[in-house]
Amino acid sequence: MSSRTTDDDPAGDGSAPTSSPPAGTAPPAGTGRNGEWFGGLDTLLRFQSFFGLVLVFLASVVFSPRGDDGEIIFLTSENLFNLVRAISEIGIIAIGLTFVILIGGIDLSVGSLLGLAAVGSAVLLTADDYGVLAAIAVVLLAGLVFGLLQGLAVALLRVQAFIVTLAGLQMARGLARLWSGGETVPISYGSGPGEAPLAFSLLGERTFNGIVPVPALIFAVLAVVAVAFLRGSAFSRHLYAVGGNEKAARISGVPVNRVKVVAFGVCGLCAALAGIVHAGQLNTGSPNAGISYELDGIAAVVVGGTSLAGGRGSMVGTIAGALLLGVLNNILALNTVDTDLQLIIKGLVIVAAAALQRLRPSR
Amino acid sequence: MRFQARSMLAAACAVALLSTGCGTTSINAGSAGGPDPEEVCEGPTGDYTIGVSQANVAEPYRVRMNADIRRAAAKVEQFGEVQFLDAAQDNSRQVSQIRTLITKQVDLLIVSPNEAAPLTGVVSRAYNSGIPVVVLDRKVNGDSYSTFIGADNERIGRQAGEYFADRLLPDGGKVVELRGLSGSTPAAERGRGFRAGVRGSGIEIIASADGQWLRAEAQSKMDAVLKAHPRVDAVYGHNDPMAEGAHLAARSAGRAAGTEFVGIDGLPTPSGGIKAVQRGRLSATFVYPTGGEEAITAAKRMLIDCEPVPEKQTLPTRLVTPENAAKVYRRLNSR
Repeated sequence: MSSRTTDDDPAGDGSAPTSSPPAGTAPPAGTGRNGEWFGGLDTLLRFQSFFGLVLVFLASVVFSPRGDDGEIIFLTSENLFNLVRAISEIGIIAIGLTFVILIGGIDLSVGSLLGLAAVGSAVLLTADDYGVLAAIAVVLLAGLVFGLLQGLAVALLRVQAFIVTLAGLQMARGLARLWSGGETVPISYGSGPGEAPLAFSLLGERTFNGIVPVPALIFAVLAVVAVAFLRGSAFSRHLYAVGGNEKAARISGVPVNRVKVVAFGVCGLCAALAGIVHAGQLNTGSPNAGISYELDGIAAVVVGGTSLAGGRGSMVGTIAGALLLGVLNNILALNTVDTDLQLIIKGLVIVAAAALQRLRPSR
Repeated sequence: MRFQARSMLAAACAVALLSTGCGTTSINAGSAGGPDPEEVCEGPTGDYTIGVSQANVAEPYRVRMNADIRRAAAKVEQFGEVQFLDAAQDNSRQVSQIRTLITKQVDLLIVSPNEAAPLTGVVSRAYNSGIPVVVLDRKVNGDSYSTFIGADNERIGRQAGEYFADRLLPDGGKVVELRGLSGSTPAAERGRGFRAGVRGSGIEIIASADGQWLRAEAQSKMDAVLKAHPRVDAVYGHNDPMAEGAHLAARSAGRAAGTEFVGIDGLPTPSGGIKAVQRGRLSATFVYPTGGEEAITAAKRMLIDCEPVPEKQTLPTRLVTPENAAKVYRRLNSR
């Protein structure tokens, strides 16, 4: 098939392969990896989230407040690891969302699903006395199944993803409230009945190696796995193909329905993982956890340069986007910027990122 | 693009290696025991930064709390910088905001937690790293903080109940309760206290609906209650906005006259409960103090006066009726 990767590319479906390398990090279906990687503005725009991240990072170093002994507070390892810890949940959600958005879908259920997974983790570990691994396995499986069911509804019932996952948002929240009885479920640690194994508290205030918070580590590992997975695997090519032009993909033999179902499944799995991290970080499963996280996740994906129209974007971009928003949050808080002003600045960054993206085809 | 991916990969691997280098996990709790009073108190010559972590600024009550803190701090010369952070009702966000304040080495932390259990860890982390912590309004677990300041919801509910039994409906009557969000502790406490307050009187709670602390929600719940019950003598709202919502519903049903509306919170703002009492929309409200001024007083004692502060300060409540509303409003805004 032809490599129609940019749905709004005036040049058409990849008709100028030499001058327009495929967008996104992973090579799209049927295209060689022989594009030019560096080409002025185009390159700048393609790597926008990465350059944006570098820019915001450098600005943060410059504008960081100094500690009592003159050190740059922003650059202290404690602060940098806190920063990654702070975005770990949204980051994990955004990684899952990238799969769905690449096929031109959307998943609004991830925030509620996080709440459901957090409640599930708390109840299984305490009231039901599950072991850590068993509880994690059950919750991940539940997230996967929830995502797969949404994928099936999208692929087979042909209901729009927006609607399916809007319904999923409601249902996951309802399930979370039912499961917890509407109350926050506290997680206390110990070996007695009704107490969670101490190992689960690794996700909370404790750190790996004395410095690295475990949620940050989980995010980093998942990021590596996701980037590796999206580079060159057959499934990855199918994702881009379905997102770029579903009809063409179907004709050229891509198992479109299966790709859709799997993408939503992966997204649900990631949301469940984020919920487990959430429960561990806060030592509670709150049925109200994760409200509006889907929007933060989508923001990270968009800042990362992935098109909501599908078929264009990259996992590396998403991760850079999540980090960029995290650095921005962090430096604004360190500098005592007014909370209301912070919201406005973050809004501007999201719009700017999306606007830059629009510039690309009309170069 | 490829180099970018590769460098990201390398960076991520470096993080992974760094952490597996040791291969064990350790508790990183810092030195236990809280701040050393001698060390945090530099007296009047110091210059102090205060961080305020607020659960949300969607509720007028919390906006007022921040305003009270800001106003009280402005009167203390040494409290030049007060930073307000809004957690937007998200435990996770509040935890990371407090972590940032710890990193920033604020001299004192004022926190009004979104929920107790999720915030306990990070609050004790701040306290154990040497930062005095004032916990406002909502509690955390354990005792790793310098002082807790807040009013008592159960007591305020009981006082409301006693007011209904003794003064509003001494001969008994039919009362509708509009509750705060189910599952939130103030709703449970304000409901429980009220029941204790009216016990033994002729007051009957004929309906109890969840108004979620919201005016609009309470209004539509009250609509339904009015249709189901031909006689309602009084409404007890767990907060003023809900009592006002009920008043609106009763008014459009032509049943506001002859029905008493009582709320809680008594915010001294133009849209708050005290003004509503003055204007006759509410029969009474109970001031639930924000504790903002008291928090700054405690901060001043710890940082400037080098004096100990009580572990717990329960703020007194106050009944507001049309007779004293104007006076209370003036007094609360003149401090």
